[in-house]
Amino acid sequence: MQTLSVPLEAYQLVAALLFTIGLIGVLVRRSALIIFMSIELMLNAVNLSFVAFSRQHGQMDGQIFVFFVMSVAAAEVAVGLAILVAIFRNRETANVDEVHLLKG
Amino acid sequence: MLEPVLFALFSVSAVVFAFNVVFRRNAVHCALHLVGVLLSLSGMFVLLNAQFIAAIQILIYAGAIMVLFLFVVMLLNVKGEAPLLTPGAWKGFGFFFALIVFVELLYIVLSQGGTEGTPAAAVPLPPGFGSPAEIGRILYSTWLFPFEVTSILLLIAVIGAVVLAKRKFA
Repeated sequence: MQTLSVPLEAYQLVAALLFTIGLIGVLVRRSALIIFMSIELMLNAVNLSFVAFSRQHGQMDGQIFVFFVMSVAAAEVAVGLAILVAIFRNRETANVDEVHLLKG
Repeated sequence: MLEPVLFALFSVSAVVFAFNVVFRRNAVHCALHLVGVLLSLSGMFVLLNAQFIAAIQILIYAGAIMVLFLFVVMLLNVKGEAPLLTPGAWKGFGFFFALIVFVELLYIVLSQGGTEGTPAAAVPLPPGFGSPAEIGRILYSTWLFPFEVTSILLLIAVIGAVVLAKRKFA
């Protein structure tokens, strides 16, 4: 597998599609849980792009970046879901349209 | 060649699973389809000579993060939201802006700006490309400081999650 038999553009295209689907999820869905999952989808699309470019250029720094993106995603999910649990305890809803006040 | 066939398989399954993540109403179904996306992407990472990344994609994402998601989904027992395609004033705008972003991304990908200066698929891979040993060597030499910062970030996240989830709103 010295040469890429699938062009880099094909991988970028899939990454763009996944990113757009995740963006639709963030913009259209109103459940905070689904919005979190859509954000994960967008992060993964970017990861695919990183790995494809890393392969194209023969340098592994892109893969290291994917490693860091995964760490940040894990931290983000832990804190985000904790906030979600706190909101749900307080307001009995996970709908982002109903959570529009700063004070509890 | 096997690679184009596998690429087509993984990309189609990733996109179909992703559509299901966004358009299913049951949050548990969404989470399980997201696992499908992650596994498809892991297959693509193997095609791109990123074996270590593929392994931690399954271990961390499909294993740890998705279990956390499913745990919270089942803990909260969220009521299903209103049907997605009801005529809402803002949903049309959502699709419209997503379409604009997709066209922009398409333009960037197809305008060859990203591969400038590198002949397509001509870079010979160094030995051990993508192996855990090589990743570790770079991670603990060139990227040592970001790695240490990541550990602090994770510590802060753990403390924050515990504090947020424990607090009583009396």
